Amino acid sequence: MAERLGVPAVGVMTTRFVSAATLMAKVLGMPGYPFVTIEHPISNAGDAGLEARARAALPEILDRLLTGRA
Amino acid sequence: MTIRVFDPTNEASPAAGAEAPRLISLHGTTIGFISNGKEGTKEFFTHLGGMLEAEHGVAKVVHRIKSNYSAPADKHIVDEIRSWHAVVTGIGD
Amino acid sequence: MPMLQLKSRSYEVDDLLSAQEFYHAKGWTDGLPIVPPTEDAVRACLDGVGLPPDRVIGIESVREQSVTAEKLAINAVMAGCLPMHFPVVVAAWKAMLTEEFLLHGTTSSTGGCAVLVIINGPIRRQIGASGGFNALANSDRATACIGRAIRLGLINILDVRPGGIDRSTLGHPGKFSYCIAEDEEDTTWTPLGEMRGVPKGVSSVTVMASMAPRQLMNEWTHAPEEILETFAAEMRGSQRHYSIYGGNQVVVIPKQLRDIIQAAGWSKADIGRFLYERARIKRSEWGDVGKGAVVRDRGESVYIALDRPESCLVVAAGGPAGGFGAVIAPWMGHKTKAVTVPIGACTDRDPNEQEHP
Repeated sequence: MAERLGVPAVGVMTTRFVSAATLMAKVLGMPGYPFVTIEHPISNAGDAGLEARARAALPEILDRLLTGRA
Repeated sequence: MTIRVFDPTNEASPAAGAEAPRLISLHGTTIGFISNGKEGTKEFFTHLGGMLEAEHGVAKVVHRIKSNYSAPADKHIVDEIRSWHAVVTGIGD
Repeated sequence: MPMLQLKSRSYEVDDLLSAQEFYHAKGWTDGLPIVPPTEDAVRACLDGVGLPPDRVIGIESVREQSVTAEKLAINAVMAGCLPMHFPVVVAAWKAMLTEEFLLHGTTSSTGGCAVLVIINGPIRRQIGASGGFNALANSDRATACIGRAIRLGLINILDVRPGGIDRSTLGHPGKFSYCIAEDEEDTTWTPLGEMRGVPKGVSSVTVMASMAPRQLMNEWTHAPEEILETFAAEMRGSQRHYSIYGGNQVVVIPKQLRDIIQAAGWSKADIGRFLYERARIKRSEWGDVGKGAVVRDRGESVYIALDRPESCLVVAAGGPAGGFGAVIAPWMGHKTKAVTVPIGACTDRDPNEQEHP
């Protein structure tokens, strides 16, 4: 939906939710919409765990938002 | 001799098929995070936003939570998106 | 009218069997064989209803998804529909795409309901839709194929696939095909469509998001109250075991029981009023069926299986012998409402005139 407004977007999903997200992307007209996956679970990962996941996801998020990347 | 048959599915997806153009740089941008309000997502996005500000020149980070995690985003959030340069959305479990 | 191009992508397949494998592999079927939708067959359906392929029949509002005549025709051909069946399919979809039907919610829910289609009016005779033997199963080609066209359209046009958008835990066999014609000729009762506002003699469809039929039997009385008490008990059972909330309920009454109730002078409205009074339970009854944990301090709350007496949809159908009847419960209370739509473009015509849309 953000994409339709001309604003680049990236979705972040835990590995468990990837199939539902991929399906909705296809249904909403964006098959192959990129999702960055992070390690499941997130709800009880602890602050250090969340920081580590953010650090791990950052390069891929940058790739999705910026031109000239993979 | 072949038979010509038709596609029964909805091929013409609503409105968009094309992605928005990507950014040249994050420097000086406003990035919005839309979370589904579930446990851990907000803190995860706070870490991410902090890294983008400290290390990649993002000027402003905005956090919003969808009121209904299984529905599309609220209208006022959608309106705000227009004033951001990029959006990060996600999940919790 | 100039012939408009079909917009759908087309594929060349070698033969009938190749077509089966192609459509199955693409996830475009309900698991059963399909009739390959060729241009001639699709056009014949569209010509029969006088619609251009790009006519939007309705829009599913949650995903803002348009449903066109062309896509409905392709799925109807696949289901085995002939052009004469197609007007019923179009009308059913118009009804399903109204706001009050709640198409996305009803078809995606874990509850696993199917769309029941009830046909009334002269079109039944024209297409050979029988409200007699086996009314709730394989009674005739017309109802079998029309019901199937509904499901194939949901699968293909709205992506309602098991494990995808269709999160049904169990579903039920009505999801293959769930279409019934009322036996208007062998009853003194007013046809369902007319009860719901369709002018006399005009054909219609009524759609309802429905659970599987619950069959009952009472061939041991001639008192209508006793016969209908069995129907009420079945509704109460559904409230206790499945969903306590009230909404529409379909009540199918075959000839043997129907003759008794009619002879006693009861109308469909009388039946609705009776069932409204009798089909109700207290929340505390949940305690009898293993659901005591959620009764809490509201045990005295009363829940009625019908949200109003008029929500009872009585259908005269079924074979001539057997003291059986059926109750069909709603998906979930009155969150979704049964919807009735006339078949054909206009309804203010001489009913003796031959029908065409």
